[in-house]
Amino acid sequence: MARAYARGRFMSGLAPNLILLVFSISCIFPAVWLFYSSLKGKSEFYANPISLPHSPSVDQYVAIFTKSKILLWMWNTTRNSVLSLLIILVLGFIIGYFLSRFRFKGRNALYNYYLLGMLVPIHALMVPMYVQFTQTGMSDKWFTLILPYAAFGLPIAIFLVDSYVRSIPIEVEEAACIDGCSFHRTLFSIVLPICRPILFTVGIIQFFVVWNEFTFALILNSKDSLMTVPVGITLFKGQFVTDYPKMMASMLIAIFPAMILYFAFSKQIIKGMVAGSVKG
Amino acid sequence: MNQAMRPSRKSFAMYMLPGFFLYTFIVFVPIVLAFYYGFFDWSGGTKMTFIGFDNFTALLKDSVFIQSFYNNIYLTALCVIGQVGIAFVLALMLHSKRVKLKSLHRTMSYFPSVLSAVVIGFIWTMLYDYNYGLINIILKQIGWGQWAQPWLNNESLSLTLVAIPLIWQYIGYYMIIILSALSAVDQQVLEMAEIDGANSWKKAVHITLPLIKNTLAVCVTLSIAGTMKVFDHIYVMTGGGPGTSSNVMALNAYKTSFLTYKMGYGSAMSIGVLILSLVVIVGTRWIMGSFTKEREVR
Repeated sequence: MARAYARGRFMSGLAPNLILLVFSISCIFPAVWLFYSSLKGKSEFYANPISLPHSPSVDQYVAIFTKSKILLWMWNTTRNSVLSLLIILVLGFIIGYFLSRFRFKGRNALYNYYLLGMLVPIHALMVPMYVQFTQTGMSDKWFTLILPYAAFGLPIAIFLVDSYVRSIPIEVEEAACIDGCSFHRTLFSIVLPICRPILFTVGIIQFFVVWNEFTFALILNSKDSLMTVPVGITLFKGQFVTDYPKMMASMLIAIFPAMILYFAFSKQIIKGMVAGSVKG
Repeated sequence: MNQAMRPSRKSFAMYMLPGFFLYTFIVFVPIVLAFYYGFFDWSGGTKMTFIGFDNFTALLKDSVFIQSFYNNIYLTALCVIGQVGIAFVLALMLHSKRVKLKSLHRTMSYFPSVLSAVVIGFIWTMLYDYNYGLINIILKQIGWGQWAQPWLNNESLSLTLVAIPLIWQYIGYYMIIILSALSAVDQQVLEMAEIDGANSWKKAVHITLPLIKNTLAVCVTLSIAGTMKVFDHIYVMTGGGPGTSSNVMALNAYKTSFLTYKMGYGSAMSIGVLILSLVVIVGTRWIMGSFTKEREVR
């Protein structure tokens, strides 16, 4: 009896704690492993891939920063992310607001037309988009990737803004109108600030999508100087195939910005992404 | 809305059109083009030969394409069970009062979801590596060295092995979603059941599960939609191999179009991918929708 009770206590107390701890550690272990392994030399890593480095050195990082274009790729990825986010937020806010507030002919058709974008698998559009971009001379340009990132980010932004604006009482705009505020000013200096929380959510979701995006970056751009980080590091695989520590250093560099952002704002990021995905 | 508050027709159009054009050009036009190109024998150059439905009929007989579809379905089944199933169990644990460090667990377990699929793929390629991979090292340490093998080169295992990182990466994501539903469940209901003598298994299955079924349905739908379009992980880990054993639809379409330059056939395949994905995704949404509605009425 006492033993059964003790076992029950163990099952309900210690076991869940232990299982969760093992799982949580497995989630950050890769980043930790990348970090300390990247401080090792090649031969040291091959002698024992899991031991801590004897004499940590930053040689791998020096080599990557000086010999590869990773800084340039990071700049490209950052530029793509910032500009496409800006477009998504501005256009998503405007279209979402209009679809939410105004009743006009074809409004529902337009709404569903935008929602369609969330269902279309992007891999079904690889060939036609490649042809379209090369024939119009839009591939291999600095703005090439911003267009699909913005277009495919629009539906979720429109959807979230639309349902958010619905919760704002129309009296807010009516009051502004009575006070003589023009439509444009009402939109940008009154409605926009009210929508800040939902725009923040959209921004978070889309930042990680764009930062990690791979398919479009792979097919629409062939220029080394415009490459993004995810595509760039796949090149390392061929180059450093026998040099794991260098691979690991480059991957740590690749995830570093997202990692810092995540751990700095994890609460808001988790909340925003979950809210966005469940509603979507 | 009051007429005075409406913008003029002109400014209405000025606001709506930029987004509309961008979206139409990038999302809608390619779908139409894919249909069009699908009717041609075309390798990307200036020579395009109209061949009617030949590409589409060939697609239906293409064993590699059909296998890649089945692989997608297999991966989806594994991922739904793995991601949502494990996430549900972990969320129940994390929700229990006896578990410590709750917010740390949340932060840590969600972390892989924000990482690049390419990096996840590389990390797991290293874990599966024959000489230096963690899995073989552990097997050798515990004396099961004979099981050590170049994991991703194993034709019959590759697809399942590719599913593991996919499952692992998103458990935290679904766990957090389920956790937020769990915290909305009325604690008194569970306390009453406890008084009536229900153990934690019975509470989970007969009380918690029915109460959060809508959230679980959302998770299943998200997981299916996510796995149907998997590409990056497999591109990095196996490239679809060995042979075509871990090929999926997206990767197959990519290889057909961009490595062998069968643009016409690749377009027909794109349409195939589009239709099959939509059937699976819309189909599950419909099933999930009717499933949850039916229960609500009762």
